[in-house]
Amino acid sequence: MKIEIKKFGDKLVSRPTGREAFLALESYQLKDLPADEPIEIDFDGVKALTPSWADEVVTKIAERFKNVTLLNAESMTVQATLKTLREYSDLKI
Amino acid sequence: MENNLKNLAFEWVMTDPEKAQIASDYYCQMRDAFEAHNNRVPDELIRNGMGEDLAYLIYSMLGELGNNSFDHNLANWPNIPGVFFSVEYDSKTGTAIIADRGLGVLNTLRKAAPDLKNDEEALELAFTKKISSRVFENRGNGLKFVKNNITANNLLLEFSSGDAQVIINHAMKKIN
Repeated sequence: MKIEIKKFGDKLVSRPTGREAFLALESYQLKDLPADEPIEIDFDGVKALTPSWADEVVTKIAERFKNVTLLNAESMTVQATLKTLREYSDLKI
Repeated sequence: MENNLKNLAFEWVMTDPEKAQIASDYYCQMRDAFEAHNNRVPDELIRNGMGEDLAYLIYSMLGELGNNSFDHNLANWPNIPGVFFSVEYDSKTGTAIIADRGLGVLNTLRKAAPDLKNDEEALELAFTKKISSRVFENRGNGLKFVKNNITANNLLLEFSSGDAQVIINHAMKKIN
């Protein structure tokens, strides 16, 4: 399954909006998927991303699924956010 | 202009609550007002010549700092809620100011680390260790994100809480 992050907006900053995004994902897309389902998280079109938002979505997806890959994650804010999560939130992807 | 705004923010933070006043241009009482103001920042920076990558990175850092004020003081503001928020950029130098009249880093982090002795220890913990006072989140990495990006992009951060101040630049200076 591919999750297009830009569908939640192109500027993703606060923890409450991240939490809302994950609740929506959980309810409509992730609910019945097995833990070994391949998940692609696509950052195409995302202009700004913070650790607070991503911690509520990316970290939680990575905790729940074993086979997660990141696509189009080259932008400066996405890279900086992933670096912080790997350093301080034990993100393994 | 930068010093005027800095003084304005400082006065607002330090003045007795019944006397504290602030121009509406700089005052964001609620999170949505702060986010609406911050959402305009990247376009203003880019219009004045800043590269898109750095403009959105600065926007993200401001988002973390401003949202921290609201996250940690929600329903707990000692008197006046909200933040002072200003951003200026003249194509060469720029300054952003976020100030609040909240509980402060020490009071906030003491919920998770009761042994903290003073503001200096609280700031050191906030900028260097994985900790959050919000017990159900256990995250607290926004300030580390800001710190990493300050050092990586040769920016400067002055962060004060109580009687302690941290100044971070590419050389990672710390001043009490």
